[in-house]
Amino acid sequence: MRLSLFREGHRSSWKLLVIFAAVLSLYISMITTMFDPEMGNILQQLSDSMPQLMAMVGMQNPGTTLVSFLSTYLYGMLLLAFPLVYEAITANRLVARQVERGSMAYLLAAPSSRTQVALTQASVLLTGTALLIGYCTGLGVLCAHLFFPGELDVSAFLLLNAGLLLLHFAVSGICFFASCLCNEGRTASLLGAGIPVLFLLMQMLSNMGGKLENLKYANLFTLFDPAGLIAGESSALWGLPVLAALGALLYGLGVWVFSRRDLPL
Amino acid sequence: MNTIEIDRLTKDYGRGRGVFDLTFSVAQGEAFGFLGPNGAGKTTTIRHLMGFSRPQSGSCRIGGLDCLTQSPKIQKDLGYIPGEIALPDEMTGLEFLRFLARYRGVSDFSRAEALMARFELDPRGRIRRMSKGMKQKVGIVCAFMHDPAVLVLDEPTSGLDPLMQNRFIELVLEEKARGKTILLSSHMFEEVERTCDRVGILRQGKLAAVEGVDRLKADRRRTYVVSFESEGEAAAFAADAPGVKGTRGRRVTVEVAGPFGPFTAALARHPVTGLEEVRLTLEELFLHYYGEGK
Repeated sequence: MRLSLFREGHRSSWKLLVIFAAVLSLYISMITTMFDPEMGNILQQLSDSMPQLMAMVGMQNPGTTLVSFLSTYLYGMLLLAFPLVYEAITANRLVARQVERGSMAYLLAAPSSRTQVALTQASVLLTGTALLIGYCTGLGVLCAHLFFPGELDVSAFLLLNAGLLLLHFAVSGICFFASCLCNEGRTASLLGAGIPVLFLLMQMLSNMGGKLENLKYANLFTLFDPAGLIAGESSALWGLPVLAALGALLYGLGVWVFSRRDLPL
Repeated sequence: MNTIEIDRLTKDYGRGRGVFDLTFSVAQGEAFGFLGPNGAGKTTTIRHLMGFSRPQSGSCRIGGLDCLTQSPKIQKDLGYIPGEIALPDEMTGLEFLRFLARYRGVSDFSRAEALMARFELDPRGRIRRMSKGMKQKVGIVCAFMHDPAVLVLDEPTSGLDPLMQNRFIELVLEEKARGKTILLSSHMFEEVERTCDRVGILRQGKLAAVEGVDRLKADRRRTYVVSFESEGEAAAFAADAPGVKGTRGRRVTVEVAGPFGPFTAALARHPVTGLEEVRLTLEELFLHYYGEGK
């Protein structure tokens, strides 16, 4: 880890983080206010009128508690997709694009090993991701407290977010690995963003049910099960260490491949 | 003692590109010129010295340390100018230089400031807006600011105007006088001629020759184009002067090998209106030293 490089990584990417945090703030606060425990609300009607579409984006059976409502409308799609885009862009900027442009030469033409450089860039991506998810968690708790004091099952909500964080640890691991593997930013994006997006699309298809449901067995996102986490189901809890292990493996592989391969600098 | 040692280095990129069984060394305190046309393998060799590439076979060492596995130790005391300067666009030059100083653990920024003054570099602008020459100057400051003992310079004067090229050559000469070991790659003979002790000529990934610069200079023939008012005067000069290579209209091409006396005497006898030296391209120099047939 190189502290100066770590700081530089955050200096160059904090604006992106702020943009994503702002967009997500909008969604989180908006959706929280839409919670209405008393009557069958508009969203339920939406779900009834076009069940397949709503199922596709994971927005069905919102339940009656605030935490299950939030998990349905935020943790089915929005909080999967937006941080994913942030992670893909940031991972790409931190390694692949610098290799492609050649500015990586300056980071390596210094008394830092490639492993140190890669670990530092990984930690920039990880802290950025953790900040984004942490911010969303905090904002969720705050909004719930402001609009519906006492309604939120905080411990279930925190567990849900821990799961989300571990999911994004694994997803950003894919982005980081691709970024370390490729000489060109474009190929890195294609792999690093493409694979998680493919998983997302597969999840939408399997949510629709039928034969396509089996797709979920080949999907990283299946390991994050919001409803199961809130209910405290053991199968959902087991997904968490698996996600953590996958994330660690992907980051480790990224660092390893970057420290071994030929760089076109 | 050799500071830079390249031992039977081979890296085949296919289609004849790469370096093949390359062996040479640069002694401590020596300035070694690395000449070759584009695509001859200069940058490939330097890539291995910097530890960016893994040799297919053979090895590179700097200061006795392996360039691939012990790169961080080597880099502590090495200055590098890449063949193509690529700096982070979104920073200003000064921000980047300060970042690099911190990153390298250089606490004393005064040398960087002295270098900026020397090359008349105003680093406050965004790198994105900088001209090629300005970026090159930033690259020069990066390579020299930590006062390294070994310098690896890949076509360091590209993009600089002649005045700044001169200043750079002076800087290299000063560093050499201070005992630095220098590897300077170039495709321009003049640059190498002025700074280096020995020259390695690289062609198609192989070292075609290693020569002392003095020897190259002594052997070197010079070519001049002499102009006249009329074709008749040119023809008269061509009949009289030594070493005439050809006449085209009012211009006569003369090659001078050895003493200049007979040539200048012939110039004095005729109404010359113009005289210019034809700079040898590297390819011509090459043919000159290694025979037309090769």
